Amino acid sequence: MAGAIIENMSTKKLCIVGAILLIFQIIAFLVGGLIAPSPTTALPYVAIKCIDVQRTHQKVKWFMPWGPNQCEKIRDFDEALSRQIEANAIVFAVHIPLPTKEMSPWFQFMLYILHLDVAFKMNNHIKENAEITLDVSLAYRDDMYSEWKEMAHAIETRKLKCAFPYPKTIENEGRYYNCDVLPFMEIGTVAHKYYLVNIRIPVIEKKGINVGIGEIKDIRLVGIHQNGGFTKVWFAMKTFLTPSIFIIMVWYWRRITMMTRAPVLLEKVIFALGISMTFINIPVEWFSIGFDWTWMLLFADIRQGVFYAMLLSFWIIFCGEHIMDQNNRNRLSGYWKQVGPIAVGSFCLFVFDMCERGVQLKNPFYSIWTTDVGTELAMAFIIVAGICLCLYFLFLCFMVFQVFRNISGKQSSLPAMSKARRLHYEGLIFRFKFLMLISLACAAMTVIFFIVSQVTEGHWKWGDFTVEVNSAFFTGTYGMWNLYVFTLMFLYAPSHKNYGEDQSNGDLGVSGGEELQLTTTITHVDGPTEVYKLSRKNAQE
Amino acid sequence: MSPQYFLRSLLLIILAAFSANASNWLYLAKLSSVGSISEEETCEKLKGLIQRQVQMCKRNLEVMDSVRRGAQLAIEECQYQFRNRRWNCSTLDTLPVFGKVVSQGTREAAFVYAISSAGVAFAVTRACSSGELDKCGCDRTVHGVSPQGFQWSGCSDNIAYGVAFSQSFVDVRERSKGASSSRALMNLHNNEAGRKAILNNMRVECKCHGVSGSCEVKTCWKAMPPFRKVGNVLKEKFDGATEVEQRKIGSTKVLVPKNSQFKPHTDEDLVYLDSSPDFCDHDLKNGVLGTSGRQCNKTSKAIDGCELLCCGRGFHTEEVEVVERCSCKFHWCCFVKCKQCHRVVEMHTCR
Repeated sequence: MAGAIIENMSTKKLCIVGAILLIFQIIAFLVGGLIAPSPTTALPYVAIKCIDVQRTHQKVKWFMPWGPNQCEKIRDFDEALSRQIEANAIVFAVHIPLPTKEMSPWFQFMLYILHLDVAFKMNNHIKENAEITLDVSLAYRDDMYSEWKEMAHAIETRKLKCAFPYPKTIENEGRYYNCDVLPFMEIGTVAHKYYLVNIRIPVIEKKGINVGIGEIKDIRLVGIHQNGGFTKVWFAMKTFLTPSIFIIMVWYWRRITMMTRAPVLLEKVIFALGISMTFINIPVEWFSIGFDWTWMLLFADIRQGVFYAMLLSFWIIFCGEHIMDQNNRNRLSGYWKQVGPIAVGSFCLFVFDMCERGVQLKNPFYSIWTTDVGTELAMAFIIVAGICLCLYFLFLCFMVFQVFRNISGKQSSLPAMSKARRLHYEGLIFRFKFLMLISLACAAMTVIFFIVSQVTEGHWKWGDFTVEVNSAFFTGTYGMWNLYVFTLMFLYAPSHKNYGEDQSNGDLGVSGGEELQLTTTITHVDGPTEVYKLSRKNAQE
Repeated sequence: MSPQYFLRSLLLIILAAFSANASNWLYLAKLSSVGSISEEETCEKLKGLIQRQVQMCKRNLEVMDSVRRGAQLAIEECQYQFRNRRWNCSTLDTLPVFGKVVSQGTREAAFVYAISSAGVAFAVTRACSSGELDKCGCDRTVHGVSPQGFQWSGCSDNIAYGVAFSQSFVDVRERSKGASSSRALMNLHNNEAGRKAILNNMRVECKCHGVSGSCEVKTCWKAMPPFRKVGNVLKEKFDGATEVEQRKIGSTKVLVPKNSQFKPHTDEDLVYLDSSPDFCDHDLKNGVLGTSGRQCNKTSKAIDGCELLCCGRGFHTEEVEVVERCSCKFHWCCFVKCKQCHRVVEMHTCR
């Protein structure tokens, strides 16, 4: 990649570009922090205990916890005991959302978590490795008066992980166990207004189903969905960013095709990075407002995965192409050692995601973590991906180290070089250091904001003024990586000054010292890559 | 008897009646036979409510069942926490529900006020989550609700509504008096301490749901503690309650610890004005049932031990055969199959 714009740009112009980018970056943060609400909302639900009085008459029946046609309820299970109602006749009903509200496609996804309130009783403990079997069904409707339509039905087993933090004495009867939350269901779109969850916990003593699970007092659900306001801000941002990145991408590729030589690997990789960024940016989510596409959540994961893989590959290749050790790379196959782990890692995560969210397309109650085999499999995938990531970072660190070693080597021998050669190396060094700097800055910012958003509460308040930290983190980092890709394509595109413009221009700049202009005339000296050599030949001819 | 004297004594009686019934709404707990409170007329018939509470009842009919549930919860929890003490939170079937013990500014009164305001906040919050109430977290009268509504940014926590309702319903009695008398200040403080016992013990739970379930996106929420936990917290506060007196600082009256050596109480601590009677003897006039006839623990040296519980009057010991349920088989709900075991135990009862 000879004579990129960054090398030919004056410091002043570079600063201006930097300032503009910084402004956009700040805007990205402010949009999230001030306009958008917090990214997600968690709504607690307590299941109403309905009695299935006429179990035999009707096969399918939906139990409404409140409103018209509500079921026959009991307040607690002491009442059931006195009325001799069996466990099998009890249906836990949860209507989503709460009365007078309705769900909206802007919520993007729904995720539910199950909480069991299990009271401690001296002679009714939770067994070791107890499992609870739930007969769950989900229905939907779009107005308050039509019939419920079944959406999913499944029989699911979940492991009970409960601890009793007090001494198990009669004194402490009635206190609750501390139970881990159980994953309950996940739906990738919110296409309907009302949902109804019916849960049964059937007891089959012969098979040992739901025996030894203690005395259940209550079932609570927590529903998490994306806030409509955040979705709207997010969509707006995507819709704005897509054309920006797309235009610079087209411009970049035009510049490259305008050159006489074929594009080098690094240029192709930057272009690929642009494509993967656009792939994330394209606001296909708009369709989720009108269509019931449950695979959207999975698709979003895949898009992010592709981008991460591309970004990691880009860093490796960028370092590799700047090692300055006369080795001929410029082929993807030359990087198999480094890109291999990325491919393997992403593939593992992809398979894992397909096993979790892919299966959830069919059965929203499914979770890979509920079975032993599933947990081991999931852990295996994640561990392999983790090892790959570690391997990758080792390679990356080693490469960066190599580059810096070569740079210091070259820098000491710079004064002895011919001017053209010196300028070439100076250009390479500057180019590398610049990218190193902004990459590190972006990565550090991401990590810092991530930690800040994890540690602090969701929003900061100054009087009436609220800043949504979490939203600012999402829009800010998203904007940042977009700007990063934008900057890369803009500054690392081949420069026009390269062609035909004379060397004296650069000479003047450097020797004049008034405005440090870094110009390389790579095509006239022996470059490190074949292409450069070839182009030199062309030039000589 | 001069008319002036008569008037004055009448006024005194009225005042006494007023200060006594600050917790009379707890009588709601006794009204399980009434069925649900679904008509405005029922509000007027409810015993124990003051006028302002009747108005609130009419305006918030749907919440009243939860208020009653809260009162029941509070009394149950009080009886559980005090089961081994001389005063065991026993209720009377007349007004005032706890007898005169709670009408005076005692430690016990402090606990009853705290647990009952906590009970209302708890029950209303719970009713919100189960969909029995319409307003709750999205109610605009509650502080902290976003103006853009549910679709834009969701609603605030239901606990905010529960606590706000408890404040306006339970505290209304003291507020209407202008919060000047030391007793009103004490009640308000303890009511607030009860609600703080819920608010400060909320459990924060989180769920990660980023790419492939990573913690890139994490949502946290606050879960209400079980009411038993609230009861335990308040019982601890009861044991460490501060005796206070009213003092005037500037133009406002505040409660400060009687013993200036003690560090000042916090918002979460219970405070009381008068020391409690010993609760030993039967005194129906004051609603004290006394401890005679209560079972006690012979080996214990604590308050449930026969020595202390029987106030030194001694105790009877008799051998009784109890029929116990043993080797039971339970289901998670509503099914118990047991064998009957006979056991001879020594039972000690106070004279």
